[in-house]
Amino acid sequence: MTGLAAAFAEAWDEVRIHKVRVIVSLIGVLIAVAAMTVITALGDMARQANAEHSERTSGRPATLSVNVWSETGMVAAEPVVTAYRELVERHSVGYASQVGYSENVMRFADGSEPISTIAVDPQYGEMHRIEPLHGRWFAAADADRLAPVLVVNEMFYQRLGAPDLRTNPTVVITGTRPVRATVIGVTRDAYEGEMPGAYLLTSHLDRWEIQGLYASTPTLELWVPPDSADQLTEVVRSDLVSRLGDDVQVEIYRADPEDFDVIDSQLQWVVRGVSVIALGMGALGLVNIALVTIKYRVREIGVRRSFGATSARVFFSVMMESVFATAVAGLAGVVLAVAIVKNVPIDELIGGAVTDVPEFPVGAAVQGLVAATVVGALAGILPATVAVRVKVIDAIRF
Amino acid sequence: MSLLELDGVGRTVVLPDGDLLEILRDVTFTIEEGEHVSIVGRSGSGKSTLLNLMGLLDTPTEGEYRLDGRPTAGLSQRHRAKLRGAGFGFVFQQFNLLPGRTAQENVAAPLLYSGGREFWRRRRLAEDMLGRVGLGDRADTMPEKLSGGEQQRVAIARSLIRRPRVILCDEPTGALDVQTGTEIMDLLDTVAAESGATLVTITHDTMVAARAHRHYRLDAGVLGPLDPAELAPARQVAAPRQVVAS
Ligand SMILES: Nc1ncnc2c1ncn2[C@@H]1O[C@H](COP(=O)(O)OP(=O)(O)OP(=O)(O)O)[C@@H](O)[C@H]1O
Ligand SMILES: [Mg+2]
Repeated sequence: MTGLAAAFAEAWDEVRIHKVRVIVSLIGVLIAVAAMTVITALGDMARQANAEHSERTSGRPATLSVNVWSETGMVAAEPVVTAYRELVERHSVGYASQVGYSENVMRFADGSEPISTIAVDPQYGEMHRIEPLHGRWFAAADADRLAPVLVVNEMFYQRLGAPDLRTNPTVVITGTRPVRATVIGVTRDAYEGEMPGAYLLTSHLDRWEIQGLYASTPTLELWVPPDSADQLTEVVRSDLVSRLGDDVQVEIYRADPEDFDVIDSQLQWVVRGVSVIALGMGALGLVNIALVTIKYRVREIGVRRSFGATSARVFFSVMMESVFATAVAGLAGVVLAVAIVKNVPIDELIGGAVTDVPEFPVGAAVQGLVAATVVGALAGILPATVAVRVKVIDAIRF
Repeated sequence: MSLLELDGVGRTVVLPDGDLLEILRDVTFTIEEGEHVSIVGRSGSGKSTLLNLMGLLDTPTEGEYRLDGRPTAGLSQRHRAKLRGAGFGFVFQQFNLLPGRTAQENVAAPLLYSGGREFWRRRRLAEDMLGRVGLGDRADTMPEKLSGGEQQRVAIARSLIRRPRVILCDEPTGALDVQTGTEIMDLLDTVAAESGATLVTITHDTMVAARAHRHYRLDAGVLGPLDPAELAPARQVAAPRQVVAS
């Protein structure tokens, strides 16, 4: 333990003594690490932001979206909905939700307005990682309430006058049988300037005979293990076809987002390639300078031998010098990368749809540091080998 | 059992052209704990080679070298390095201070290899040791700012920092004027006596040699007794620290 500390102390001294040469030879390493880290970090952050964004809209991996339609016209909703229900039960899919897009005219205190609505089941919230800004998402118990409930978006909430949800604010859903609905939650707008919208529960549609305009046959979303997604797709398809008959078309697709890269992947590889070359050049510079200075340090190495330095210690300390040096350069490079990334408008990079920018990814920073340290170790091996070969006797005679 | 025993030790090197050069031949002598021994010889007689053998920096090609009665021939490089660090302090003619490090850092440097508590307390220990050689106020000075005599004092402090049993001095006064050389030898005698260390001084200066208890002459690689008459009538050391049975 003390031996390790002593070796570190010794190597640190060396770096301190030779700081000028160290700084000069490390600029390449610093820049390379910064470039690599920036590329990795931006890629990660954009991917993460995008993933969060599209999980909200399209669902988490693997979300299967089931659509039923017919070439001859509208498909009656009733048998489809029944088929969906039986299907979910039979295959005991843990997470499933019907999704019905529609539009309902709602009456606010100061007038009526058509609102886009999505009728879903409570599990939709978990499946789309919905975290309300205020209030809460639907719970299973909401199905039995005495009035329909709504989870609305921010625009809707503003339209309501941003009331405290504990006061149970309401709107009237108009129609043949108007009904007063309570707003229980507010979700984030998916993008700036989104139109007012609301989620309601599928089960409430029937109960209060809420009929939307332009309602289409609802789709069914299933959140399934990614491994069995393909297999389930086939099972569900044949199951539905056998229930609904041959004159309907069943379409099932993966709705969750594919991995995507904001920064063109070729450009990424170019930057990476250049960074690796720059790292290599920095390392070669280090090797070169280290080899030259070893010549001047032969006597010093001999003197250290006279203090009882073992070959292993001589090797380790010379190698650690370059490891220290590149680690410091790598750290500076990572700091530079963080500064750069903090000043890049990441939301613009991925299309202006991110409300909360992800943190600087730790993985990218670690990767930069590790790369720098490994390069330092590799660069240190040659001078360290030379240092060990120094003949003590020749070193201390003059 | 003696501290150091050389028994028929020889050292032969192979020159670049393939010829053999016999630097030392059949060197036999012993040194006891706490003694002060000097070895006098002309330049090129093999003095440094002999000292390097004793300090485990080099290995004999013939004969046997025993430390505390144990042969050193079979020891691994690593073991030799450990024994050297713990048992020997070196003082060189050229001081050999580490450039770019303060006096204090130079004195502390051997503790980088000692391990344990000494490593963690190396700054304090180095300061104390500098005080003992009269340089307490120069701890933060770089070697190149020190005079030759002061540099050698730093080197002496450094050789003593691990409390070695043997201090090996290779022409310790060779680069100093007579007055400073005398002061350095006084210091070496004093600190060695204080810590009970064995002092082996190699020199071509008979005045320096005269301070030792026992004297040898090295002539073309062959060790022999030195005729006391040859010694310069220098200031003798007050009294031998120990009576040695020969
Ligand atoms: N590794 C070696 N290869 C070739 N020759 C060597 C080697 N080591 C020592 N010598 C030669 O052996 C002789 C003795 O060397 P050594 O350094 O021991 O002498 P010295 O008595 O210390 O001399 P000085 O008083 O000049 O320091 C010299 O002639 C030297 O050139
Ligand atoms: Mg010599």
